[in-house]
Amino acid sequence: MTSSSKKNLTFAALAAVFLILAAVFLTDALGRPKLPAPLPLVDTNFLSTATVRRSYADLVKAKDDLSDFDCYTCHEKGKAPPLRYDSRQNLIVAKEHADVVMGHGSHGRNNNCFNCHNETNLELLQSRDGRQLRFSDSPQLCGSCHGPTYRDWETGVHGRTGGYWNRTGEPTDRKACVNCHDPHSPHFPGRHPAPGPHGLHETADAPATHPETHR
Amino acid sequence: MNRRSFLRTSAVLTTGLAALAASLKPLMEMTDFPTAERFMQKYYKEMSKTDMEKVLKRIADDVEQQYGLRPEVRDYKPLNGVEYVYCLNLTRCIGCRKCVHACVAENNQSRSPEIQYIRVLKLPHGSLDIEKADHNYAPESVPEKGFFYMPVQCQQCKNPPCVKVCPVHATWQETDGITVIDYDWCIGCRYCEAACPYWARRFNFTKPSIPKERINPNMSYLGNRPRRQGVMEKCHFCIQRTRQGKYPACLEVCPTGARKFGNILDPSSEVSHILRTKRVFIQLKEEMGTNPRFFYYFDV
Repeated sequence: MTSSSKKNLTFAALAAVFLILAAVFLTDALGRPKLPAPLPLVDTNFLSTATVRRSYADLVKAKDDLSDFDCYTCHEKGKAPPLRYDSRQNLIVAKEHADVVMGHGSHGRNNNCFNCHNETNLELLQSRDGRQLRFSDSPQLCGSCHGPTYRDWETGVHGRTGGYWNRTGEPTDRKACVNCHDPHSPHFPGRHPAPGPHGLHETADAPATHPETHR
Repeated sequence: MNRRSFLRTSAVLTTGLAALAASLKPLMEMTDFPTAERFMQKYYKEMSKTDMEKVLKRIADDVEQQYGLRPEVRDYKPLNGVEYVYCLNLTRCIGCRKCVHACVAENNQSRSPEIQYIRVLKLPHGSLDIEKADHNYAPESVPEKGFFYMPVQCQQCKNPPCVKVCPVHATWQETDGITVIDYDWCIGCRYCEAACPYWARRFNFTKPSIPKERINPNMSYLGNRPRRQGVMEKCHFCIQRTRQGKYPACLEVCPTGARKFGNILDPSSEVSHILRTKRVFIQLKEEMGTNPRFFYYFDV
């Protein structure tokens, strides 16, 4: 073969290869990757800014049912309700108050209702230093034992403060203790976490939520 | 010209034209051709008030056309005498990831593929080694015993490496401390993503898909207006909220109040109180010299 005809052959072969490639690209002959299925939208409960619980003040503001706080529909005025304990010094909660789960303090040490409730006037709370407090002022009761936490709460460092960081004239929405903590069982409850990151590719730790798209 | 040279020339020309057509194929699929108006749009820092008003109207029109609702798009300027700082209480974070999704909802991020500015790391007690973190935890209930949770987002560093590497100055730090991105100026080279030690930056590999019913219509130019394919985005401390004096969305939704935000130049703010009284540290990659404005702390 002469060098010039070899050159021609090379050119022709290259031209053919490039033309075939161009045809493949232009017509998508090898197909396109499948788009992943759209991810499910997150449950709107995870987007809610509501607190875990509602305080007495919240119920009053919402004009909700306050009958839970109407102690003298069942109790007798002036007579302190009796407390009963089992053999292991645990408080026996009356079946009428079965929704109260005692768990305030380790080893059940805070298991006397009248540490916080006023036995002569059940519609008030009392602190150990003798202050009589309304239910809507309950943070002061909590603060009478939990001083450092109360001090932090007053500055906004403990607990939730919503609304405006800019305090000049704008209202802040500082939540009370009972908006997060059940006073009888204050440990903050666990919850199911919202969905984590969705990778494009499946790995050992992160199963793909949509089908693999590689070809 | 003889037959041989004619054949050779035409073969070469045909191949060349076919190759050109094949290489331009992606342009045929492009849906987002810039209008002349958008192409000639000025750099954010050079826009006059009237320029900005025109641009905001264009954005509102685009959003209305695409999503069917008329948003309110504004340009919020930084407040005077304000430098934002974020404090996060690691004793309180329970790893529920509500902040992640509140951010996604507030800032009109793509849902599929889902872009999340905040990444919550699950770390074992006793170690602050981020390499040991679990990003994909999904237990029945959080918090899990023996672990603590650390959400990571853009740290709005005082010495930001992402700003240094941007070749077109599409990202810069404003006077109130927020590092912002002009989405219409970004060329999508992703240098900033490479430079960030915290992996705070997210890139739009595809056209963001936002469900119409979850669009947040309160938008800002530098903040949560819908982005295009091929631009970077990241946490901007909810600029459309914070520059109006409000808390960012991640803080509002946090159920335990682990997140604290405010103006560090105000000595009576929560964040000033925290930095004075708590065991605070800038743990995250302090040795990189980025000087983040995001402080993690423990309390009792």
